Amino acid sequence: MNATAEAQTHTLILDDTEVSFHEGETIYEVAQRAGREVPTLCYDKRLEAFGACRLCVVQLEGARNPVASCTTPAEAGMVVHTSTEAIKKHRRTLLELVASENPEATINPLRGFASQELNELLCKNDVQPGRFQGQQSGTSNGDDNPFILRDYDHCISCYRCVRVCAEQEGDYAITMMNRGFETQITTEFNNRLKDSACTFCGQCVQTCPTGALGDRKAMRAESLPGELEKTRSVCPYCGVGCQVDLLSKEDRLVGIQPAMDGPANEGALCIKGQFAFDFVQHEDRLTKPLVRGDDGELHEVDWNIALDRAAEGFRKVLKKHGRHAVYGVASGRAPNEAAYTMQKFIRAGFGTNQIDNCSRA
Amino acid sequence: MSRDTDTELVNQWRKEPAPLLPLLHAFQNRDSYLTENALRCVSDALKIPLAELFGTVTFYHHFSREENGQSKPRVCDGPVCRFRGTENLLDALNAKPMPCAGRCDSPVPVLQGNEVLIGSDANSLKPLPSPLPPPNPGGIEECVFAHIREEGRATIEGYQKTGGYAALKKALCDFPENLVALISESKLAGRGGAGFPTGKKWEMVAQAEGNPKTIVCNADEGEPGCFKDRTLLDYDPHATLEGMILAAYATGATRGFIYLRYEYPDTMRILERAIAEAKDTGLLGQNIGGKAGFDFEIYIRRGAGAYICGEEGSLLNSLEGKHPFPRNRPPFPVTHGFEDLPTVVNNVETFSAAPPIVKHGADWYQSLGLGEHVGTKAVSLSGDIQRPGNYEVPFGLPLKTLLHDWAGGPPSGQSIQAVSMAGLSGGFLGGSDLDEVTLDEPSIRSKGAFLGAAGIMVFDDRRNMVDVAHNAMAFFAEESCGKCFPCRIGTHRLTERLNGSGGPATESEWHTEVDDIGDTMMATSACGLGMAAPNITRSLQKYFPEQVAAHLQSVSR
Ligand SMILES: Cc1cc2nc3c(=O)[nH]c(=O)nc-3n(C[C@H](O)[C@H](O)[C@H](O)COP(=O)(O)O)c2cc1C
Ligand code: SF4
Ligand code: SF4
Ligand code: SF4
Ligand code: FES
Repeated sequence: MNATAEAQTHTLILDDTEVSFHEGETIYEVAQRAGREVPTLCYDKRLEAFGACRLCVVQLEGARNPVASCTTPAEAGMVVHTSTEAIKKHRRTLLELVASENPEATINPLRGFASQELNELLCKNDVQPGRFQGQQSGTSNGDDNPFILRDYDHCISCYRCVRVCAEQEGDYAITMMNRGFETQITTEFNNRLKDSACTFCGQCVQTCPTGALGDRKAMRAESLPGELEKTRSVCPYCGVGCQVDLLSKEDRLVGIQPAMDGPANEGALCIKGQFAFDFVQHEDRLTKPLVRGDDGELHEVDWNIALDRAAEGFRKVLKKHGRHAVYGVASGRAPNEAAYTMQKFIRAGFGTNQIDNCSRA
Repeated sequence: MSRDTDTELVNQWRKEPAPLLPLLHAFQNRDSYLTENALRCVSDALKIPLAELFGTVTFYHHFSREENGQSKPRVCDGPVCRFRGTENLLDALNAKPMPCAGRCDSPVPVLQGNEVLIGSDANSLKPLPSPLPPPNPGGIEECVFAHIREEGRATIEGYQKTGGYAALKKALCDFPENLVALISESKLAGRGGAGFPTGKKWEMVAQAEGNPKTIVCNADEGEPGCFKDRTLLDYDPHATLEGMILAAYATGATRGFIYLRYEYPDTMRILERAIAEAKDTGLLGQNIGGKAGFDFEIYIRRGAGAYICGEEGSLLNSLEGKHPFPRNRPPFPVTHGFEDLPTVVNNVETFSAAPPIVKHGADWYQSLGLGEHVGTKAVSLSGDIQRPGNYEVPFGLPLKTLLHDWAGGPPSGQSIQAVSMAGLSGGFLGGSDLDEVTLDEPSIRSKGAFLGAAGIMVFDDRRNMVDVAHNAMAFFAEESCGKCFPCRIGTHRLTERLNGSGGPATESEWHTEVDDIGDTMMATSACGLGMAAPNITRSLQKYFPEQVAAHLQSVSR
């Protein structure tokens, strides 16, 4: 597409108001921008629009059937109605149908970022519980990995997990098996995640709109007292700078969720940023400096003593083996300023160029 | 017998166009099922992630993941066969049921490995060629069946002796644009169900940017009660090839595929021979018919058991080796088809109509219809009828003429209670509508059904229509791809409501639920399967309310 076409704007009529849009936008995107509330379940703005849930249907004047707004490109002159009585009824029926395939349940928000989406829509749309009763879909997988709960009794086959794994993470670890009502999310050869290409990045968990996939580490805190709080922060593990929301209850860190609007990560994390936070409150964690005494045991001391002890060690090495016996490796978890200080320390302090960083992949 | 090694199989197919299906078939033919090793080899060779490949394989009925799975017999339990011996065969052969396998004119087909046997009990099973269409009982001029009954028509000599490939020669003397114009002028419309104007489709592909362009012949024929494409390909394969070559000339396409349903292994062999003959005669390959620079190849790709793969988006995904969900539209295949390049997808019958149109002209084709109507339609007629088979009818022919005058009416002592339309997708017609409708879309659509691919199955007064509807809805539920919510859940819920295993027992609540599910499926489903399935329940409710009431009585106990 050339630049002029891209810059070109057109207009369409959205619920009686003229709105402008750019070439390439979908009706859903236009409606979103105009503040219309169009429900969705299979939509995740990071992913290619898929058109599974059909909740986003809108009426187009001149078209026999409603169209899925998420997959339909906006066209100049379209007349779109986002919420006619007929459309609202279809949405209610769709929600009642999807509710009928799963057990009624409240889902703890600790399961994942998007885990409340289905239940919130059921509440908002006057859905009559108990309609369209029949067989339920999905079989949970007794996968005993420590990170990801696979509770497919709650699955609604929106394929967000499969698509995020392929499109965002590029791992293609999960797939849909069988077809129709028998569809089942699984891995190659229907195995456990740890026997698949999964890297336990957790993105499937965070995009799941029902809590069928759950963050097992966060779920340990389900019965802890206190309100769940979210605090925006940056993942401390590496230099990418993924933004995270720290989940806490009272003074405990209970889980981590990726920030969907984090500029560096847009909802992505790796296994460390997502799941490896237990050290924060771990009983083995050092909170005071320790030095080894003549008795061979470690003893708590203050910082001055500890630093003197370290300096003494360095001096001994320098004296015995020379300045090139020292090699500094800065932690990939350190910010730029600390990395700079580290190389200064090695170069100016010891007089050697043997300085490196652990994240040089 | 030596077994091809993994590497031999991989090397045979890796560089071919659309390699996934044939490579999987090659492994399954060798091992009798798809082993874990086979999937790993294929994943590696074609660079398809293993999980995705595994998911895709489980989608198809006839790819087996169990030892000896391929040789386990499958017995048709389609709407016609199930009254003609399916149950006994299933027991006697310890077989698996399969959906309508397109032999409704000579039930019951049993698929065993790569052979189809026919019979109503285990002792009478034998291979049986497709029945030829009976001579046109109305004495009416035909288009696609005009020469099909001539001896040897399936061979290239026989085909050429009876005027075959003359249309191609004629077209090659003229510009491609004029061929497109002629097809447009004839008003030929798609015969696979949707009825899109064929000339328009060819024109759009001719004008679309992007190369290479592709011609796809849709021979998936998965709609229950449809078996016309099988007969066309078995007895007149060169007509379809010629139609495809014409389409290639019209559009500038250089590669073609015939996507053939798995259940037609005999047809596969016939087509392979016909393609080889056409190649030897210079009618496929390079500089076709002596025309410099006109190059076109045709490849057969065998499906693996999935009705949805007849839907063009799903078919294209299947060819490309992707999970065979339908595609979102727009964009359409004419601009974004096979490998996202411009592609014609047409039905077998549509292609076979092209050569006679080129030969005899647009006016001739138009005049074949009755009254205002244009052209003809091959109708597959089966079920409770004296003379089942394929009939080529002029559009506008009264249904009752076909049923009673042409096909001899119901078995003696019975009366016709209902007929299905479009195979199953159109639902049923019953009551006085049976006497009123004519065989054309405006007439049939005015009754809430549609003619589509024109499978018509007849149900006489011995049949329980709720049971018939249940079998039909179970088919749609089984074949729903699972991509969109309304169809994935709706087909299953309607099936449960038709067999009494779910849903309210009071009549009014039952109807409200069934209506609400059906309305939402029709309005919001992502493809034609989910949109059409509720025609079954709607027409059942409309024509047979007493049978529904009796059903509800019996399940409420
Ligand atoms: C569920 C479903 C199944 C279909 N199956 C077939 C089929 O088996 N054969 C076919 O030609 N068209 C089938 N179609 C229609 C195709 O999508 C497409 O419209 C057709 O192949 C175009 O060719 P035509 O214009 O010559 O009819 C199916 C459509 C749907 C929605
Ligand atoms: S955790 Fe990440 S890699 Fe594993 S299945 Fe989920 S998205 Fe894919
Ligand atoms: S597990 Fe969750 S994200 Fe995946 S398909 Fe089911 S409901 Fe959707
Ligand atoms: S309507 Fe049915 S077959 Fe079509 S896309 Fe939806 S689930 Fe698949
Ligand atoms: S958001 Fe459009 S179909 Fe789900």
